[in-house]
Amino acid sequence: MLLWRSVPSWARLSANALAPTNQQQHRATTCPVSPSPCWPAHPFPRALPDRLAAPLSPRRLFPSPNPIYPRANPPLRLLVLSPLPLPMAAAKHLAARVLRAHLLLPALRRPLSTAAAAAAEPPPAAADDLVTMKGVRISGRPLYLDMQATTPVDPRVLDAMLPFYLSRYGNPHSRTHLYGWESEAAVEAAREQVAAIIGANPKEVFFTSGATESNNVSVKGVMHFYRDKKRHVVTTQTEHKCVLDSCRHLQQEGFEVTYLPVRKDGLVDVDRLADAIRPDTGLVSVMAVNNEIGVVQPIAEIGRICKEKGVLFHTDAAQAVGKIPIDVDKMNIGLMSISGHKIYGPKGVGALYLRRRPRVRVEPQMSGGGQERGVRSGTVPTPLVVGMGAACELAMKEMEYDTKRITALQERLLNGVTARLDGVVVNGSIEHRYSGNLNLSFAYVEGESLLMGLKEVAVSSGSACTSASLEPSYVLRALGVEEDMAHTSIRFGIGRFTTEAEIDRAVELTVKQVEKLREMSPLYEMVKEGIDIKNIQWAQH
Amino acid sequence: MASAVGSAPSRAEVLSLFRSLLRTAAKFPDYNIREYTKRRTVDGFRQNRELSDPVAVAAAFAGGKSQLEIARRQAVVYSIYAPKAKSVMEIKAS
Repeated sequence: MLLWRSVPSWARLSANALAPTNQQQHRATTCPVSPSPCWPAHPFPRALPDRLAAPLSPRRLFPSPNPIYPRANPPLRLLVLSPLPLPMAAAKHLAARVLRAHLLLPALRRPLSTAAAAAAEPPPAAADDLVTMKGVRISGRPLYLDMQATTPVDPRVLDAMLPFYLSRYGNPHSRTHLYGWESEAAVEAAREQVAAIIGANPKEVFFTSGATESNNVSVKGVMHFYRDKKRHVVTTQTEHKCVLDSCRHLQQEGFEVTYLPVRKDGLVDVDRLADAIRPDTGLVSVMAVNNEIGVVQPIAEIGRICKEKGVLFHTDAAQAVGKIPIDVDKMNIGLMSISGHKIYGPKGVGALYLRRRPRVRVEPQMSGGGQERGVRSGTVPTPLVVGMGAACELAMKEMEYDTKRITALQERLLNGVTARLDGVVVNGSIEHRYSGNLNLSFAYVEGESLLMGLKEVAVSSGSACTSASLEPSYVLRALGVEEDMAHTSIRFGIGRFTTEAEIDRAVELTVKQVEKLREMSPLYEMVKEGIDIKNIQWAQH
Repeated sequence: MASAVGSAPSRAEVLSLFRSLLRTAAKFPDYNIREYTKRRTVDGFRQNRELSDPVAVAAAFAGGKSQLEIARRQAVVYSIYAPKAKSVMEIKAS
């Protein structure tokens, strides 16, 4: 089997190398993301040889002799610090003195090189509580504007969870004692809370370890169950990686997948989706709210089309539940993935909604004791599930208040930035957008340097340049955003706990950093003089 | 409390609840939670100011009391696990 790594990059088939119509066809059937797991592009620093990393370890000081060639290991040259010549009588003290001398050696040892320094203790925190991590020093904890990555646990959710870590720690599947009964009651109560926020019956909700697992079960489980009749899946190019990776897995098994392109504003073309559905289509998977650009897809319309054509409709609603109103009956949703830690709940828990009428069958991914009606075996984590239920109930109560506030904050952020900067582009549709997600690209600014200057604000970048690979995000690529703009994109996530002061500070820092970088940028100078960058004939020196 | 279950709370009781919630909010070491609790209390009381039905008023008051209990407990928990470094919003004056 040919390893992807062993194929040189110039030999890998590039979608850009094909003719335009072929390119479209290629992109419609090829998974937009590279295979997982992600190999780091740069190898980790090589481990130091023994003599530098641990010069005074006992192994080196007293090496065990090679059994076949006893004199093969050269004796370690020991530095003796004693100034006077040692008399014969004190020979037996020589070893002890030599050893003591070596304990003084650390002071003379050459300075640690990188890997050993990294392994050494980090410097103690300065008196004014400086936070030092990964070579960055900031005066305090950054202000958090990355709500799409995860949200802080609401104190009310934590309050609901704690008793189940302290005294009510029973396994909900234990049928014989109080601990089990009260845990089971709590799990069922949480199930009702989750079902209430999506307008479902509690019997249709199954708890999983997160939206990734729910997506896996939905995509792979449904297609495996109907593998004899249905061989085709329709999805979009901007889906979450777990959905796309599951689709690639299905492709490797022999299923066919259509990756629908999206328009410039990030929305999927509903007519194209309707055309892409074939008689052997088993599943249509379109996410409700995109995690990178925040666009809200027309779920109700897609659900209506799927119902007409008799195709199962799955939506990844991890970023949508609790933020925009979702009703599985009105939107004709057959399967839905919910994530706990996106709605101010704990991490490590999610839910899967499976419609009962008409019944949606899936092949289970987790085999075991048949918990959760056989759909997902494994002990249901009571504290996490209770937390998720509490988070859903809170989200239902606070949705109106939060939405109003977050919309106002988003306007404040956008107006603050655009009032002082030009060349700011919002990625994705502005009208069909969840207000807590703002993805901005700053022209003529280099992405990584912008992020390095924004260390007091916890934001995410649109490209993956914070990770090992330098590829721009596949979502922005699907939108047709050019590479340079994709690299400078920043995703601001606003949530329930964000304050106006934080938004103002974020605006201030972003504007300052962008202005600083643009001042240094020769490209920006040329643009200000009126030169069109795209039509420059660069001279060959 | 002097009010029986179901009867409307007096103005003094409502004000006392409001002040207790704000005092508890100030005890949170986390900047975001503290600001949220203060803001939510003020907005919540403002929203329910026009309530006239005594049953609804009593229900809102009971809800407020339970939220006060939750806030008291969580203020203690957050204080015990407060990180050494404060948020940048609390450090810089600018």
